[in-house]
Amino acid sequence: MRNLSSSALWLFIFTSSLSFAQNSTVTDGASLFGDLSARHIGPALMSGRINDLELHPTNNKILYLGAAGGGVWKSNDGGATFNPIFDDYIQSIGTVTLDPNDPDKTIYVGTGETWTRNSVSYGNGLYKTSDGGSNWKKIGLENSERIASIVVNPLNSQEVYVAVLGALWGDNEERGVFKSSDGGETWQKILYVNAKTGCTDLLIDPRNPSVLYASMWEFRRTGWSFDSGGENSALYKSIDGGNNWNKIHKGLPEGKLGRMGVAIAQSNPDVLYTVIEAEKKEDKGLYRSSDMGETWEQMNNDFEITVRPFYFSRIVVDPRNENVVCKAGLRGSISRDGGKTFKGLGNMHSDIHDIAFSNIHSDIMFFGTDGGVYRSWNGATTCEIVENLPLSQFYHISLDNETPYNIYGGLQDNGSWYGPSSSPGGIQARDWKSVGAGDGFRVLKHTTKNIVYSEMQGAENVWRIDNKNQLVKTIQPLPKAGHDKLRFNWNAPMALSTTQPDRIYMGSQFLHKSEDMGESWEIISPDLTTNDPSKQNQGNSGGLSMDNSGAENHTTIFTIAESELDEKVIWVGTDDGNVQVTRDGGSTWVNTVANIVGLPSSTWCYHLELSTLDKATAYAVFDGHTANDKTPYAYKTTDYGQTWTSIITSGVEGVVRNIQVDYVNPDLLFLGTELGLFITLNGGEKWYKFTNNMPSVATHFIALQKQTNDLVLGTHGRGVIIVDDISPLRELNEKSLQEKLHFFNSEPIVIDENQSFSGSFGAETQFTGENESTAAKIKYHLKKRHTFGKMSMVIENAKGDTVSTLTPGKSMGINIVKWNYQLRQPKVAKGKTFSFSGFTSPTLPAGRYKATITKGKESFEHSFDLIYDPKSTIPISERASKQETVMEIYNMTESLAYDVYCIDAYLDYARDSKNTKLEAKLNTHKATLVITTGDNYVGAAEPQLRENLTNLLQRVESNYGAPTPNELDNLQQVRAAYRAASEKTIQLKKKYKLAKRVEVKSFTDFLN
Amino acid sequence: MPQKRFFTLIVLFLSCQVYFAQTKEEIIANYIENTGGAEAWNNLQGIKMTAKVSQGGMDIPIEMYTLKDGRQMTVITFQGKEIKQQVYDGKQLWSHNFMTMEAEESDAESAANFKLELNDFPNPFLDYEKKGYTVELMGNEIIEGTETFKIKLVQEPVTVEGEKEESISFYFFDTENFVPIAMQSEIKAGPAKGMIAETTFSDYQEVEGLYFPFSMSQGVKGKPGEPISMTAIVLNPKVDDAAFAFPEKK
Repeated sequence: MRNLSSSALWLFIFTSSLSFAQNSTVTDGASLFGDLSARHIGPALMSGRINDLELHPTNNKILYLGAAGGGVWKSNDGGATFNPIFDDYIQSIGTVTLDPNDPDKTIYVGTGETWTRNSVSYGNGLYKTSDGGSNWKKIGLENSERIASIVVNPLNSQEVYVAVLGALWGDNEERGVFKSSDGGETWQKILYVNAKTGCTDLLIDPRNPSVLYASMWEFRRTGWSFDSGGENSALYKSIDGGNNWNKIHKGLPEGKLGRMGVAIAQSNPDVLYTVIEAEKKEDKGLYRSSDMGETWEQMNNDFEITVRPFYFSRIVVDPRNENVVCKAGLRGSISRDGGKTFKGLGNMHSDIHDIAFSNIHSDIMFFGTDGGVYRSWNGATTCEIVENLPLSQFYHISLDNETPYNIYGGLQDNGSWYGPSSSPGGIQARDWKSVGAGDGFRVLKHTTKNIVYSEMQGAENVWRIDNKNQLVKTIQPLPKAGHDKLRFNWNAPMALSTTQPDRIYMGSQFLHKSEDMGESWEIISPDLTTNDPSKQNQGNSGGLSMDNSGAENHTTIFTIAESELDEKVIWVGTDDGNVQVTRDGGSTWVNTVANIVGLPSSTWCYHLELSTLDKATAYAVFDGHTANDKTPYAYKTTDYGQTWTSIITSGVEGVVRNIQVDYVNPDLLFLGTELGLFITLNGGEKWYKFTNNMPSVATHFIALQKQTNDLVLGTHGRGVIIVDDISPLRELNEKSLQEKLHFFNSEPIVIDENQSFSGSFGAETQFTGENESTAAKIKYHLKKRHTFGKMSMVIENAKGDTVSTLTPGKSMGINIVKWNYQLRQPKVAKGKTFSFSGFTSPTLPAGRYKATITKGKESFEHSFDLIYDPKSTIPISERASKQETVMEIYNMTESLAYDVYCIDAYLDYARDSKNTKLEAKLNTHKATLVITTGDNYVGAAEPQLRENLTNLLQRVESNYGAPTPNELDNLQQVRAAYRAASEKTIQLKKKYKLAKRVEVKSFTDFLN
Repeated sequence: MPQKRFFTLIVLFLSCQVYFAQTKEEIIANYIENTGGAEAWNNLQGIKMTAKVSQGGMDIPIEMYTLKDGRQMTVITFQGKEIKQQVYDGKQLWSHNFMTMEAEESDAESAANFKLELNDFPNPFLDYEKKGYTVELMGNEIIEGTETFKIKLVQEPVTVEGEKEESISFYFFDTENFVPIAMQSEIKAGPAKGMIAETTFSDYQEVEGLYFPFSMSQGVKGKPGEPISMTAIVLNPKVDDAAFAFPEKK
């Protein structure tokens, strides 16, 4: 029995350990993807939509912003620059609030944008950090969708109030005002009206924290309408810490009310302002109370005060002057007479959502707009943009095949642009070119001509831009007999053919095709939508304030794709849930959506991706969030839509916006959702979230560059993000993942010979997009992290000589070791100063190389080719001549270094033996070999032999092609000087019998 | 009897849970013990590390001296010339200027912050309570595919641009062997201020009974870092006192 118990014990411990070990090897995305990391290229020059600004109450250097789709950013330098601090969490932000009692450490973030435009994203709850942002914890209100305001009792940090605006697209009871009395551990709903009415603003009286004000708003959006206002919108006050609430409407308009912004004057909290959306035009506008909300008086109803309440209901009072009040708006405005009259704010990006006054002077102000953050130093007269906020909100991107390739895309309220994937010194604002106005969406590059197509909202304009001749033509399809009204989506689809370069498609309710770059159009389909008339009343949209911008256009085509394998196969997806396919170029169409099991009817078809390997195979993703459904939907068909299979499994979060299938391995798929990038290696059986420098940002479009295998993401809040060369993912499978170390196959590595000047002065506070490293990358997968014992890596040339020793990566997953394919710098003679040109590493010649990783007693080998750029015009013979010359100078440099080393040893001997004659001769000789005086800057001495050698080495090495005749002449001179110097050293050595008298290292030992 | 057996099983199960649910004290004690033991660490008088830093395509040879009496020195050798950085002689913190190659004293704030680290030899976790540090177990986290314990270490406040700021770092201890494989801390100054710096540790090897990571990688969290690999670590090295002294101005 005893033995049995003992065995059972060991068995138990063993199995426990085993399961533990297995758990520890379960791969999350970061563990699998390892060094495969995203790089951000912006752009930031137009930035993106800001929802909220928050200033530190006492430290004027610190401020925060909550972006509509780009997360939370913190400035430590008074708003000159910002850094992101919330990348692991959902990036749609409603509000950022500092605990006034602990503003350095305790920060609350309410997620979910609150300016409820059509393209708004959503949040997933309330977050808190107690250590200044290093660690965040979700503390509830998971289904709140959008949080408008957070108030911490200025006398008691445990007491926190939260205004939940709530769901935009459907009923939800998690809205109203919530209170916590334990610092956010538990929550109690203390003001609730109904499932359609949320809280837009929440204020606390700084003198008496029991006094609270809350504005409630009844609102609803659908895919085809917006309704602001109702019987339930109201302004409330509590005088007992939120236990009881009463409406405070004395002096406010009768009837239905819409969105109301409220503000309190910190310098005199008796004074309140509210901006009101009302039934009657004359009742709308700004109201002021001087008695803590008991009575109200209308002050102003100018355009800027009443414009688009759902987008601009923010009023801010100067904390030092109760009569200075700012109103957000199309251009924004400011009153200095208590709200009676307003003047416009200084020039900045339109659509201003938040305003903040500095805590040190009211002339210093900050503005959050559709185009980033602006600063003013003179009370909003002149405004300047913050240049390092890459918050650009792409709806769509596309790529070309240039080197480097360009990224094309359109942005929310910021037009259409294209820019390069790399640029000397990094990708800067000046690298981006504007190719469209208004809101930008699809931007497509003609496949063979220097022509770009772009568009603005609702296809009001579609432009064909002749880049070479700088000519622009407007080409959107116009109505014609029989088709009086065309319905284009706000984000109208355009698509190119891969087989017919001049062909372009556009989608209204019909599919339009042009074979002549938009000069003429042919309709090649019937109405492919449901054509449901109940979803076509955009003229009445808006509720109490008419808002017919085209943003609610519905029953339209949203996505178009022509097969690369058969131009007659064309797919179309509509915003009202149809998935149509033609196999005969548009003569007949089949709606396949009924074949999708489990997809709710009318769910927006957001993207269709066609296989490049099989023309019957397609992928469709659907976005249900405009029907209050955040379920991810993605399906695959292999029979033209007769049957569809869901490829969503656990691990995918957020509504799906886009899918990209690999061109080589059809099981490798990339999914863009509202919460980031997800990758599957096995056709959707298991998905991993990609988190390596990749925020949880809405990923609206994904493109795969065929030449580079770069995965390029158009995000709606963090600009363009690139994951360079995803080809290793093609090799990850059951077998390779089980290998202890798996080297990935590599294409020949091209030696980068491009050179240019970057001239980046003046860009110190600008965002600069990262370039991909031009180093060679040796890639392998490690099954388990290497922590104990030595692991090293060497590169050998074809002769077996070791040319580089590298430090390999040790992490589980993909490791990428960068190798600069250069010989080590030559050993340079020791002088008084540095020879800066001596820091020259000759590039290794093209050839076959081998990387060997030694890990403990095991070694792993991988051979690869280093090649010259096949497109290079430099002849091979010139490269050989350069290589030979470089190595001659390199070897002379090292020989000189050895001679100087010996001379220094001889000098020691001369000094020790008090042989002043020898010492003088050696010093005289040495002074001709190396610099023996001066410094490394303007005190530099005249160059000597060392400098002449290394300067020539640097010049020949950094020049392309064979050495020039001028360089060869110089080499002749330097070579002669070198030989004379060597001879002189030998003579001195012989004359004074130094070889016998002074012990020196051998040349080989010296070099090593 | 079946009941008793069931009870035994439950106790066994609970004890195994306890085994996995480590306390912060146990994690740190295991770490100290597994890397040589407190006594050996306390007896250590100094460390000389010879390393190769890869930066911008260049391999830079460096030597780093850290002594128990607080003295420190980093020596970079370029073209046979020694450039010293972050040298502390017990009084002053100084570095060579790269242009003149002459010694210059570090600014007062950097020196004051540097002096706060003097009691961290050879390891801030050794007798951390006596140093007044606080430690908190934040939970488990996967780092580079490895399950770790995340430990928050709070040291003496540092001064940043004239204002006191908490000095917080997070260490990630491998749950299998209790050695740290990563460390993260907020960057306090410069353009990257506010971002999270990350150093990873690997290639732990024994040197005279103590274990050191012979390979590190330094960078910003989420991005691949620049590697540093140790070629040799010498314990209790002989040093020339004059090498640390702030040179007299000529």
